[in-house]
Amino acid sequence: MIKVMIAKPGLDGHDRGAKVVAKALRDAGMEVIYTGIRQTPEQIAQSAVDEDVDVLGISILSGAHMKLVPKILELLKKMGSNMPVFVGGIIPKEDAKRLKEIGVVEVYGPGTPTSEIAEQVRKFVEHSNA
Amino acid sequence: MSNTRMREDEFLEGIKSHDRRSLAKMLSLCEKDPETANVLLDKLEKKTSHVVGITGSPGVGKSTLISAILDKMNGKNVGVIVVDPSSPFTGGALLGDRVRMQSHATNEKFFIRSFANRGALGGLSPSIYEACDTFESFGMDNVIIETVGVGQSEIDVSNIADTVIVVLSPDNGDEIQMMKAGLMEIADLFVINKSDNPRSQILLSRLRAMTAGSKEVPIYLTNAVTSEGVERLVRALDSRFFQILSDGTLSQKRRKRLLNHVKSMIRRELDRLVQSFEIDGISPKEMRDHIIEELCRKKRL
Repeated sequence: MIKVMIAKPGLDGHDRGAKVVAKALRDAGMEVIYTGIRQTPEQIAQSAVDEDVDVLGISILSGAHMKLVPKILELLKKMGSNMPVFVGGIIPKEDAKRLKEIGVVEVYGPGTPTSEIAEQVRKFVEHSNA
Repeated sequence: MSNTRMREDEFLEGIKSHDRRSLAKMLSLCEKDPETANVLLDKLEKKTSHVVGITGSPGVGKSTLISAILDKMNGKNVGVIVVDPSSPFTGGALLGDRVRMQSHATNEKFFIRSFANRGALGGLSPSIYEACDTFESFGMDNVIIETVGVGQSEIDVSNIADTVIVVLSPDNGDEIQMMKAGLMEIADLFVINKSDNPRSQILLSRLRAMTAGSKEVPIYLTNAVTSEGVERLVRALDSRFFQILSDGTLSQKRRKRLLNHVKSMIRRELDRLVQSFEIDGISPKEMRDHIIEELCRKKRL
């Protein structure tokens, strides 16, 4: 059984995307923990570690991804976790590239088929267990 | 599936030294491999925590109430187990109880863990006994268990909790619903949540009328969103624990819990055997005999 956490950091409350992905992963047979909106990086990292999820998905549409995502990665590392982290939202190409350089496994923009996300989440988990 | 595996002795040391990450991994083990978890739990000292079960229909405010209870529990170590339903079709689940409790996510005294019920029918997770034991081994003062949003007959929480709170809300049906057997009978305490709704007074008088003449069950009114009435409830929980500890009720409850834990272990073993059986050309009775034989042969320890 794959356990995923879908989290929404920062101040934007646009949670439609996060909910669509959470529901799609649920329908793909995964256990999805949803944190709700306006979470701090600390809340997200601690929750993901406490829930011992296999993958963490972060949804951001506020533009603050270059501040929030590195912070979450840093906290996870500090807590001894190397779980795969993916990001969804409105992320400019060059930022997406940079995020992947610092350890994000994938960045999904608008229009990504949810089936593709589910399939890739399975792969992330396989890789991290290999 | 965990991205970092732990060895047995690491688990034991981790739990003993109150390492949060070990607790997280141990709870995963309870779900993935409950038999091994039971072996490890046997080697750990257990604290007697007050195990409080919180149950009620979907949407009455169970998660919000737990969050409000945690607000009033400063200084205590509390483990929270929240259970939501798995899909009978895909096996997937959306675990959303945390949403109401996230303000406590970084409090080092509290540990919240979500479970899917994975097809268990009684409102809890198949690994609930192991998970609860794990929290007690970790030294929690309280363990709070939130069931899935229940109907009328999901009453497994009364097999594990020392105290069962049945949460009702004013928009929950008439008194005939309250007269039905099952859920309403397992309450050690009733909470009428959303007390700002004027109809809560009507519910209160109906509930009083219904419980009159039988076992006295205290009723508390709360508004979990504003915390109104929650402090009183928390105090009541504390004094109830003291009372059941001294009058012998607790040891009865613990005996019942132990028996149910054992039953759940046997059921798990049985399920595995039944599923692995070739059923071609064999009558139900023959199959039963084979399985019982197999079960006896597998007897371990």
